[in-house]
Amino acid sequence: MSTVVTRLQSPEDLRQFCEQVLARRDPAARSVRVCLGTGCTAKGSPKIFERFRQAAAELGREDIVVQTKCTGCHGFCERGPIVVVDPGNVFYPGVKDEDVPEIWRETVLGGRVVERLLYHDETGAAARTPDEIPFYHAQHRIVLALNGVIDPTNIEDYLAAGGYAALAKVLSSMTPDEVIEEVARSGLRGRGGGGFPTGRKWRSARRASGEPKYTIANGDEGDPGAFMDRSLMEGAPHAVIEGMIIGAYTIGSSQGYIYVRNEYPLAVKHLGIAIQQAREIGLLGDDILGSGFRFDVRINRGAGAFVCGESTALMASLEGRVGEPRAKYIHTVESGLGGKPSLLNNVETWANVPQIILRGASWFASLGTEKSKGTKVFSLVGKVKNTGLVEVPMGMTLRQIVYQIGGGIRDGKPFKAVQTGGPSGGCIPAQCLDEPVDFDRLTELGSMMGSGGMIVMDDETCMPSVAKYFLQFLKEESCGKCTPCREGIAQMLDILTRITRGEGRPGDVETLSGLGQLLEDTALCALGKTAAYPVLSTVRYFRGEYEEHIDRKRCPAKVCPGLFRYVIDKETCRGCGLCAKKCPVEGITGERKQPHVIDQVKCINCGTCFEVCPFSGVVKI
Amino acid sequence: MSTVSGIIERYAADPGMLIPMMQDLQAEHGYLPQTELKELASRLCVPLARIYGVATFYASFRLVPKGDHTVQLCLGTVCFLKGAGKISEALQREFQLVPGGTSPDGKFTFSPVNCVGACALAPVMVVDGQYYGGMAVDSALELLGKIAAGDKPAEPVKARERKRAVRGRKRA
Amino acid sequence: MATVTIDGIACTAQAGETILEVARRNGVWIPTLCHHAALEPYAACRICVVEIDRGGWWQVVTACNYPIRGDLTVRVESERARQDRRGVMQLLLARCPDSPELRQLAARMGVAATPYPKVTEAQRNCILCGLCVRVCEEKIGASAIALVGRGVERSVAAPFRMASEDCIGCGACAAVCPVGTIVVRTHEQEVEISPFKTRVRLRRCVACGRPLGSELTGEVLSRRGGPTVVEILANEPLCSRCKRADLAKHLSAAAPGNGSGRLAPDAIIIRRH
Repeated sequence: MSTVVTRLQSPEDLRQFCEQVLARRDPAARSVRVCLGTGCTAKGSPKIFERFRQAAAELGREDIVVQTKCTGCHGFCERGPIVVVDPGNVFYPGVKDEDVPEIWRETVLGGRVVERLLYHDETGAAARTPDEIPFYHAQHRIVLALNGVIDPTNIEDYLAAGGYAALAKVLSSMTPDEVIEEVARSGLRGRGGGGFPTGRKWRSARRASGEPKYTIANGDEGDPGAFMDRSLMEGAPHAVIEGMIIGAYTIGSSQGYIYVRNEYPLAVKHLGIAIQQAREIGLLGDDILGSGFRFDVRINRGAGAFVCGESTALMASLEGRVGEPRAKYIHTVESGLGGKPSLLNNVETWANVPQIILRGASWFASLGTEKSKGTKVFSLVGKVKNTGLVEVPMGMTLRQIVYQIGGGIRDGKPFKAVQTGGPSGGCIPAQCLDEPVDFDRLTELGSMMGSGGMIVMDDETCMPSVAKYFLQFLKEESCGKCTPCREGIAQMLDILTRITRGEGRPGDVETLSGLGQLLEDTALCALGKTAAYPVLSTVRYFRGEYEEHIDRKRCPAKVCPGLFRYVIDKETCRGCGLCAKKCPVEGITGERKQPHVIDQVKCINCGTCFEVCPFSGVVKI
Repeated sequence: MSTVSGIIERYAADPGMLIPMMQDLQAEHGYLPQTELKELASRLCVPLARIYGVATFYASFRLVPKGDHTVQLCLGTVCFLKGAGKISEALQREFQLVPGGTSPDGKFTFSPVNCVGACALAPVMVVDGQYYGGMAVDSALELLGKIAAGDKPAEPVKARERKRAVRGRKRA
Repeated sequence: MATVTIDGIACTAQAGETILEVARRNGVWIPTLCHHAALEPYAACRICVVEIDRGGWWQVVTACNYPIRGDLTVRVESERARQDRRGVMQLLLARCPDSPELRQLAARMGVAATPYPKVTEAQRNCILCGLCVRVCEEKIGASAIALVGRGVERSVAAPFRMASEDCIGCGACAAVCPVGTIVVRTHEQEVEISPFKTRVRLRRCVACGRPLGSELTGEVLSRRGGPTVVEILANEPLCSRCKRADLAKHLSAAAPGNGSGRLAPDAIIIRRH
């Protein structure tokens, strides 16, 4: 936590303050960084942090000072808890309580690496630093650069890393139009899913007439499988705030909102601390850095509605109403919150802004593809070996992401598809693995980038079931205002439910396609308009699987209960009788130490025998 | 000063802050009591019907009291693909739970949620604010059983090992 | 001023008008359900969708709330727009199979039946157009009912699904319901509104005792904006007949030949209420 707080009155004040902060820090100092992001916390990292903290406090040596720091999410949550030791950036994944004394003794105090606790790849090779780990090596971290490095609850960490220098530059040497020009030239497009050119949006907001103008950050990340924004808000909240202040300055807004979904309490907490600290130091409030510009921001929590990630529904929520979207024939930059001009961007979009200002539009535009510049944070999850947050330049291929960074499919299974864009997106099959990941290409392939979710699926995934899953999700999240979304999704779900139960009928696929087109044309908001994409993309690439379900009442992936069979492999079965004992319908018979047999008539396809067999003797056919 | 007046004052009686007010109200009482909502409507000069509409629209609002323990089961894509659906069924069966409802003995309020953002730890359960990753049907039943009996598990349950890759390992 | 070309017919339009308003003025029929001239457009039912030329592509928009901001080319009777409107109607018929009014509109649109099954058991015969809720809020000023819940299980109800304490028994909800779901039964002293489980004492003229509900409702529904029924009732709850009688007395009292030039005594009594 920061010590004495003086209110900064000018960019020069800020520069001097940063110098002082840096002067107080020894780059060669020993420190232990423990991740307290949601993922690592779930695995017990707070205890580990406490142990290190105590060890440092009890060290009692004049010549050695060890700093213990809790950081935000590294994005490698599956390998948590993550501990990094400096100097040396020594990266320890999966740290257990009992490993703490050894790390302390050997690495922190002794400067030696504990080989067995390092990250090891499949060949057994050890990586000492994150850069040596394939998962991190191919990434290009800009938005997530500070995650895992800084303590998100200490503004001095952010300042020491160059934080708020962009704001100082803007307020001291750039006009609003110059800032907008820079953002426009960078090619930054909205990172929340829409992909709308950010500079153009800011320009419209600047030109809009009406007072007051509002600046809003959308932190309602609702796509299941996506946690990029969570990590960003938890691990580097100031990056979002700094971006917002800059944006607000360009359009003449003095009031901002950060809308964070209710299910992210740690993000809410860290943003709250960051705002408080920024206020104390004078980076929020009146006369920021002596520029005369005034801006402050408040946090509003969501209340459990995915649709509030849609900008007009979000604004309705900020007005104390139900999250019903409205038509965008008049854009929200002209008439948004309370009918006033409102500039809304996703938190990841905001976090890109300071870097663009500091390093320049040309630098940003040198990354990515022709129409999709910069980097994007993806949440790579599902059946890959390495799951977590991946920040890469736009244009990297799916193959590179899934295999180079993700390490390929778990358990040696074949790749089947990668689902991108959440409930608004689609499934992309193996033949498209060499396609570049950017806004337009993903849309052409029948999916979309969305907020950045990437769910990798293997051959044990049933594609009609995936479509059904997303429809079930959307059915519960639909606000219910417009007919096509409210009724159409329920109808599509009804059809998918029949299909996955073996009650599909000829013509079902055509009906689904027709409903998809109807929703795309007539639904009021993007939730409804894109609701059919998971269905339509799986029909496009996996039509055979639909036909198997509908015509032959079979699930090739062996997922849909009743559409495949469980049998006991005579060769493998040891006759232990456990399956028979656990079978809820007493459908398995057999002598002790003899191969058992499942009665296919009695079998209800519950899968219990499959789960409990110690010898993997039950197979699906 | 009643809770409702205090809450209204906290937000300078701004009707746009209705949702934060209701969130604070629910934090006080564990749910949104009818009388309090009526008081909120009249003091804030917002129609009760609108407040009721908001209370029933957003999934986090409860109009009935909570159980002793809150159980949130993540049914996000990854958790779902890893069997969260089966866990949901098992829990509902065993503890007589209904999604969004409280068990008859008042012990558990069960809320399936759409993604808690810990996808790498799927399937995820959040019990009384504590995250548990790598859940399976038996570990979920065990966890709630322990809590119902009054023994809170000391640590979050460890992620389960991938059984299928391991042959010949005996399980109880 | 702008030119809006609808199916080839050039029409003039003022800024701020909607496609629907221009169309109606020029005799072009576009089906509507959730639209009411006295209310803010809600654009929920989607039955009024048409195509507009975006220069290179055609966008499907709702006619009831698309604002005219310049010259515009509109296609109402294109194949795509017709198909979309019919598709929406088919979904509505699946939800709401028992409404003669809906079937009538469907027939006019060329929709004989729906291929879709009923997939929800929520509120019978309600198309969730929101007219009842909106009229109660915007024109009556009572906000007695609300849209409850979300998604396909949404319904219209009074708070806590009990009788409303804010209902004034005007019956506007029933008057605007396009599918005949809301029913008002008048008893001697009370009016009963189903499905909202509400029985309310009739509001009456303070002078003659006639029920005021439908008269005031009719008045507010004939205009955009203006005071709500609740606001009117708060000031001077006279029925129109008594208002005219009161005015007549006042005028005749002030006419020359009455001597004092003062108001007649019984005129004062009425105004005091």
